[in-house]
Amino acid sequence: MSDRATFLSTIQRALGKLEGRPVPVAPSPESGLSVAPANLIREAALVRDAMARDAGPLLDALAETARKGSWVVTRAGTHEDAADAVADICRRTGISTALRSTEDIFERVPVDRTLASAGVSLKVMARLQGGAEDATGSARAALRQAAFTVEAGITGGDYAIAETGTLVVHPRRGLSRLISLAPPRHIAIIERGRVLPSLDELFILERETLLRGELPSSMNLISGPSRTGDIEATIVQGIHGPLEAYLVLVG
Amino acid sequence: METSPADFKKSAVRAIADPRLQKALEAVYNGFYKNRLTAAAATDRWEEQREQGRAIKAHVIGNLDFYLDMLATNVEKNGGRVFFAADVADANAYVLDLAKARGVRTVIKSKSMVSEEMELNHALESVGIEPVETDLGEYIIQLAKEPPYHIIAPAIHKSKEQVADLLAEQSGGTRFERAEDLTRQAREQLRPAFQRADMGVTGVNFAVAESGSIVIVTNEGNGRMATSAPRIHVACMGMEKVIPSVRDLGLFLRILIRSATGQRISTYVSMINGPRKPQDEDGPDEFHLVIIDNGRRRLLADAALRESLYCIRCGACMNACPVYRKAGGHSYGSVYSGPIGAVVTPGMTGKKSANTLPFASSLCGACREACPVKIDLPRMLLELRRQAMEGGAEQPGDVAKLRDDGGGLKQGRDDRKSVQDVSTLAGKQREVSRPGKKSASLADRLMWKAWRFGMTGRGRFDAGARLGRIVLKPFSRRGWVRRGSPFLGGWTVSRDFPLPAERSFKSRWQKRMMGRGVPQ
Repeated sequence: MSDRATFLSTIQRALGKLEGRPVPVAPSPESGLSVAPANLIREAALVRDAMARDAGPLLDALAETARKGSWVVTRAGTHEDAADAVADICRRTGISTALRSTEDIFERVPVDRTLASAGVSLKVMARLQGGAEDATGSARAALRQAAFTVEAGITGGDYAIAETGTLVVHPRRGLSRLISLAPPRHIAIIERGRVLPSLDELFILERETLLRGELPSSMNLISGPSRTGDIEATIVQGIHGPLEAYLVLVG
Repeated sequence: METSPADFKKSAVRAIADPRLQKALEAVYNGFYKNRLTAAAATDRWEEQREQGRAIKAHVIGNLDFYLDMLATNVEKNGGRVFFAADVADANAYVLDLAKARGVRTVIKSKSMVSEEMELNHALESVGIEPVETDLGEYIIQLAKEPPYHIIAPAIHKSKEQVADLLAEQSGGTRFERAEDLTRQAREQLRPAFQRADMGVTGVNFAVAESGSIVIVTNEGNGRMATSAPRIHVACMGMEKVIPSVRDLGLFLRILIRSATGQRISTYVSMINGPRKPQDEDGPDEFHLVIIDNGRRRLLADAALRESLYCIRCGACMNACPVYRKAGGHSYGSVYSGPIGAVVTPGMTGKKSANTLPFASSLCGACREACPVKIDLPRMLLELRRQAMEGGAEQPGDVAKLRDDGGGLKQGRDDRKSVQDVSTLAGKQREVSRPGKKSASLADRLMWKAWRFGMTGRGRFDAGARLGRIVLKPFSRRGWVRRGSPFLGGWTVSRDFPLPAERSFKSRWQKRMMGRGVPQ
């Protein structure tokens, strides 16, 4: 018998059930599993409507919770202002090398231009990819090296969460896992209309993605700079991830 | 520093006498405990969410075969591999074989209590593979060669000075003073390990059955490092960590994190849905999920202890426990300490030496109140005391009588049947299982008989109290019988005994009410 069959039999014996292939059970009514796919799609549509309808108040709420979570928050009226804000952060903190992801947002927020004029040498993610070997072998090593050597990682985000001051990132082509983690500073830009009220809405959207068969390989929720309280319970900012985290809100 | 649960008393006495340790333990209360209360008060529908979390866990644990099967199927669908390990030997063998087959030389580890159960570091070292703990607390205790002190804060017992010494030794000299500098120093020491490691080993906070995902909660970012930089990711989980739906994560993250540290959310929550996809920039090429039993089946089979598997490992029960906060984590001599440790350690291992732990509690109920999924820890501690007195093993007949609170066993008949099966299972697996009916000594039984006789008659009770005063009076001072009195020797070892009052409450009440009639 396979390790799985043996293991499941042991559990079935302990539970006093018949051994064999597990018999499907009706989901508990308290669990999200009990929400039928058709209803979930409706729920997800409502979440998107609310995200657009309440965009202003949600962005304000995010600014407040993000500050409490030790993000350094900057509000920018326009995309141009946001690009200036990113350059300002680099000037202020003496950042001279940065790595940015390739995401839609950078088509609207011209950081390449403002960073060049601030004298920051900027590497752009997707251009690091080699040809056939892609993110394996030497390309992987180069990427890892870049993320570990630059002074800042610059990204957008798929959503933000007002309840918790959280940036939601799904790593993918053009957006590595390490870019928001390994450099000592992380600068993230999020636009009005991308803010969800709470974790619950995020996981409604994630479940919808799952049911569509499009779940990406990972998701990161980021809520401020890396921190630890492991030495005498003193909270210190900056252990394995960024020492400082900047959130630029647009709109 | 090997300790055994059997030495709880001795270890606790040592811990209580250590002022530095007592000061460190105060931080548990002033930090985690108070922060949790504040966070709970600031959360909408907190009580309702605890109930909901409990209901979901009860359903999952009652149907664990089904949900683990669903989880494994979906992990494999996502391109990951699942290994079911009956015990730590199986789990270690799987990880070591994999590491050897892939030519792994360095393993970075993110915090995992299951890997502590496995003693994985030791196993890796034994075959010449370098394990590096990356959670700062775990790193500190790895350098100190000690087990974790607390689930959430493994090195809470170490002073800044001790940490400074350990880190300085590692760096060859530079010794810092401030927590900020020490943290920076550890960052610099660990960076190269992240870059050179071929394998990352992590724990699992939640595994989601419907999506085949695992979720890791950290503040430091080491969990993300371990799942981003190396080419192989191995996640180790206890079999109870599964939840049904992606949609349930909002609730569970909320109650876990707010109960653990009182934060609204931890800095990082990573959801891993398998190995990297071809188009991804980075991430592991391989994802392995090791699901471990290691005695949890014993908790599952015992209807009276089953709810201990609802635990989401937040540590709130330890922070709330007056015994843990004085005796400290190491006194328990087991991987899991505090009230939940006192239940699962004897429950999982069935070892007699662990029978001391259920007695290391005042049964005050603070743990039950703190638990985010309302696990009735005091009830289980009492049950384990009973089992310990009756010979250390659950008795089939008694288990059947005990109430199960809905962990999926809906029919009483099934319940009884399960117990039959358990007994055959237990017969195979357990070394000793002797009937415990006659285990109380003759002296004990006589004493209880006399007690009962005295307590069941009003006149006898009053006479007893008067007699008690007369006997104890010469040995009391200012109304208290203290340590060293010839009577009540056992009782007065750790607390004083009040001398029965000259006039009982009853007689005072009678006198006061005389002539006033019966109060309405």
